[in-house]
Amino acid sequence: MITDKELSFVREALESARDAGAQQARATLSVSEEDLVATLDGEVDRVTHCADRSLALALFVDGRFGSYSTNKLDPASLQGFIRQAVAATRMVAEDPCRALPDPARCCHDAISGDELGLVDSARGQLTPAARQQIALEASVMGSTQHGTSLPVATQPRGESQESDNFAGSQNSPISSDPTTDVVPPLPSRGRQAPAGAALQPATAPSGEAEYQIVSEEGEYSDSVYDTVVMDTNGLCCRHSESSFDYGVEITVESDGQKYSGYWWDASSRLAGLDAAGCGRRALARAVSQIGSAPAPTGKYTAVIDAEIASKMVSPLLRALSGYSIQQNNSFLMDSLGKQLFPEGLTIMDLPRIPGQTCSKFFDSEGVATRKAPIIEHGLVREYFINTYMANKMQLAPTIEDATRPKVLPWPEAGLDRDAILRRCGSGILVTGFNGGNSNPVTGDFSYGIEGYLFEDGRVVRPVSEMLMTGNFLSLWARLLAAGDDARPCQTKLVPTLAFAEVDFSG
Amino acid sequence: MKIFDRFGVTEEQLRALVAEGLRDGGDWCDLYFEDTAYHDLLLRDGVVGSGGYHVDFGCGIRVLKGEKTGYAYAETTDFASLKSAARAAGSIASAAGAVASASLHGSQGLQTSGVAGTLPPTASAGPSLLRSRGWLRSSDPTAASTPQTMADTADGLSCIQASKTVAAPKTILKIGGFPGAEILVNGGDPLRSSGGDERSEVLSAWSTGWPGADYYPELEPWEKAEKADFVGFLQRIESGIRARDSRVLKVVAILSYSVSDVMMFNSLGELTQDHRPLGSLSVQVIFRQGDRTENNIVSRSLRMGAEMIGEEVLEDLVSRAVEGMDARFEARRPKGGQMSVVMGAGASGILLHEAMGHAFEADFNRKGQSVFTDRMGQRICRPGINILDDGTLPRSRGACNFDDEGVPGQKTYMVTDGVLTSYLHDRISAGYYGVAPTGNGRRESFRYNPIPRMRATYMESGPDGTREDLIGSVKKGIYVDQFANGQVKIGEGDFTFFVKSGFLIEGGRLTMPVKDINIIGNGPQALADIVAVAGDLKIDEGTWTCGKEQSVAVSCGIPSVLIRSLTVGGE
Repeated sequence: MITDKELSFVREALESARDAGAQQARATLSVSEEDLVATLDGEVDRVTHCADRSLALALFVDGRFGSYSTNKLDPASLQGFIRQAVAATRMVAEDPCRALPDPARCCHDAISGDELGLVDSARGQLTPAARQQIALEASVMGSTQHGTSLPVATQPRGESQESDNFAGSQNSPISSDPTTDVVPPLPSRGRQAPAGAALQPATAPSGEAEYQIVSEEGEYSDSVYDTVVMDTNGLCCRHSESSFDYGVEITVESDGQKYSGYWWDASSRLAGLDAAGCGRRALARAVSQIGSAPAPTGKYTAVIDAEIASKMVSPLLRALSGYSIQQNNSFLMDSLGKQLFPEGLTIMDLPRIPGQTCSKFFDSEGVATRKAPIIEHGLVREYFINTYMANKMQLAPTIEDATRPKVLPWPEAGLDRDAILRRCGSGILVTGFNGGNSNPVTGDFSYGIEGYLFEDGRVVRPVSEMLMTGNFLSLWARLLAAGDDARPCQTKLVPTLAFAEVDFSG
Repeated sequence: MKIFDRFGVTEEQLRALVAEGLRDGGDWCDLYFEDTAYHDLLLRDGVVGSGGYHVDFGCGIRVLKGEKTGYAYAETTDFASLKSAARAAGSIASAAGAVASASLHGSQGLQTSGVAGTLPPTASAGPSLLRSRGWLRSSDPTAASTPQTMADTADGLSCIQASKTVAAPKTILKIGGFPGAEILVNGGDPLRSSGGDERSEVLSAWSTGWPGADYYPELEPWEKAEKADFVGFLQRIESGIRARDSRVLKVVAILSYSVSDVMMFNSLGELTQDHRPLGSLSVQVIFRQGDRTENNIVSRSLRMGAEMIGEEVLEDLVSRAVEGMDARFEARRPKGGQMSVVMGAGASGILLHEAMGHAFEADFNRKGQSVFTDRMGQRICRPGINILDDGTLPRSRGACNFDDEGVPGQKTYMVTDGVLTSYLHDRISAGYYGVAPTGNGRRESFRYNPIPRMRATYMESGPDGTREDLIGSVKKGIYVDQFANGQVKIGEGDFTFFVKSGFLIEGGRLTMPVKDINIIGNGPQALADIVAVAGDLKIDEGTWTCGKEQSVAVSCGIPSVLIRSLTVGGE
């Protein structure tokens, strides 16, 4: 997407910054396009085309630093912008720790931008009509209206679980979790229909639950993003990536109560996108929440679904950031090289795997990414230290942030969520978070949750309006298992996780 | 600078663009021009060592046909680009069959961080539909120093809004309408265009409280202020904080301010301009006591000029930054479960934002998704309770001289005497329900089409005495008064908010300090469970940002209230 002319434009911007008085500068040009088709209740509701281009500058002027950006890129506006930026930088205090990264640490192998094979040329072939077709065919209501039949589970859920649980098959159409592949019979909007025998929990309440679909909002999009980073030390690296996304949220109503479910998928390749499966999952998730209620307050084994399990990992990564450490705003102060986590926790940064969404060869400074352990068998192995923080903290620089962290399976490979449920026996399977937060200094957290109570490795009923509360260090100390089922479409590859004795309030 | 000069367009071109947008049969077209400059200065480790500014410029064009929307934008205002955008919006809006609306809006990266192009494509985050259904957060001052990491601020002490701002309305001019253009306003009466090109002052297009007020005059323009004074001000904040508490380890203070000039024109021929300033100060303090560390974050955000930088704001931030730290170090997690909750005046307005505000936004109701759908005119809480969403609070972060559809700022009673009396409308939902728009059509920037959004949401004072009276009436419960963020599930009505600090209530007295707990409840039930409302309404002036699909600045407030039962997280 970025043209040769635009590459020249970036170089000229760096020269202009020098001419205006900057001793060093970094320029990042970002260009992106996105097309989107949104559906409402099976009809196209919105079509979007985005096209953006902006230039960000980091300026180092007389020992001072400032960061700037603009989307006014005509030559006259840009020249004025750069002059103003250099002048503004001179207002702040000197900071000898500010500098461009050492060229030896920078990325030298991202030339074309597509070295990782993340650009799918199929995007260029998509017409507006084709995009609408993808969105409509993915829609549960749209596919019905357009004559596509939905696979409908016919087995009572209790029966199916036996074979699934013991077979341990990931390919089974019926899972012990109502949120996976079970598809309830589909009612038309406004028409009462059974909630679906296949979704009845093992201890189904008496009477037959009915529901109707209140709304279905789907969103298909495809995009391409191209960015180039140059600096006055000669850095020039580029990253291009396409993305194909579909997400859907379905709201159903039963006995005067509404329940919603969502699902999404994404891939850097059109062929890798499973849009059709999203609606079925979203509907199953919504319907499976019918009749949800809090479980009694107490300590439970917590199984965190892979879809949302990054919530348990992100605070750890933030706490290892140089900015957090330097400011004492971290519950992992002085943790480098220490065994603060259980043997079972290993998090690797795997940024350079070709064809994998969000792989990238360099960080925002242009520093080359690398495969590296972040936490290895419980031992903290890495802080995320950029050039500035390295100079401030007198530590060796690493990388600005984890690019594509992955939690490795434990205690064995191959565990999926069902296997972990069986292993844990009873507890609460958390499939959604509703708000909450954590204290970066102490690691204390408290989150709203929804999910399912499970017993004997099987889901027995949905729960909602509950809270999960604890401290990240003590939570991870009680790690029971890390699965092997991280969703490849996510930035953080975090599988289903299980923890013992977690406080739930209901 | 004259507004037309700022955007490099003429009246004739505006009319031509609207005509282009309506050419394929649309029945409404509006143009939204925006020129925003965002500045920030950051103090860390005792020095103001970094700063920056960011420019965002462009024009969004929307075409409506019934409830259908076409939207397109250009990052330039050259006529050819705008005409192309108008054509795209108009043709998509009028397309037959399945295509119902179109928007050409921006990528995710530019808006929240204020740093263009720092975010990756949306693959990892999933479709925007799923990224936000309504949540509220206050700011973390450290974020502005590391804009490149803002995409990953999943936990709510998150990034500072790359504020959009704005300031003086100033005019509505009617410079010519377009045949066939109509929209339902004022209880369902269609406002039809005059069809002429004559220029005249709009006299009575909007009935609701539009005296030509300016709710946020920029008395001392940010652009003309002496920037060196800002550096000194941030340093005084730090020295003031350190002087008051010897446990202070680190201070990060950020001044951010933005000024947006907005020009709107629509097919009624109404030309609206607004000048929107927004100044924000955020301070994070790290304290050390023995081997324990705690933090505190305070902020102040107002729609005003550089006159904001003064002694009152300085004293407010400094005093609140060190306030309550003794209790914070003593605080523990309570035993979790259901209990009575007294919510202190001010920031507890997050309850209203999450428990009902989002559920009253008319788009959710129009689609049947809200827990309050079809409950208009019904009693939803006890008599005497009035709940508003208000765009007319002077200098409030939620103030709007005009919303982003050109509808004048106004005050909307959502609940009157305990009865649901109004949703929050943009023009589309107002047309759907046959009522006047309520001035809630807001957007993050020209890259987005407007949707119903809150402004400043609060409850009026009640008759039940003081905060102490409410606490005294509770045998066992919890008192909360500082919050970080909240969230709601629209259909289920389940809402949460994260409590930074509070106290247990035992025997009518505040006892053990508590912190870092989430509270969860169900919106309709929580409203019905409000059993007492004190007379101490306070509007909070923190840097609240609402993230429903797009980020917009809001405010909230409430008097002290007693809720019979909510679920409190704990051990």
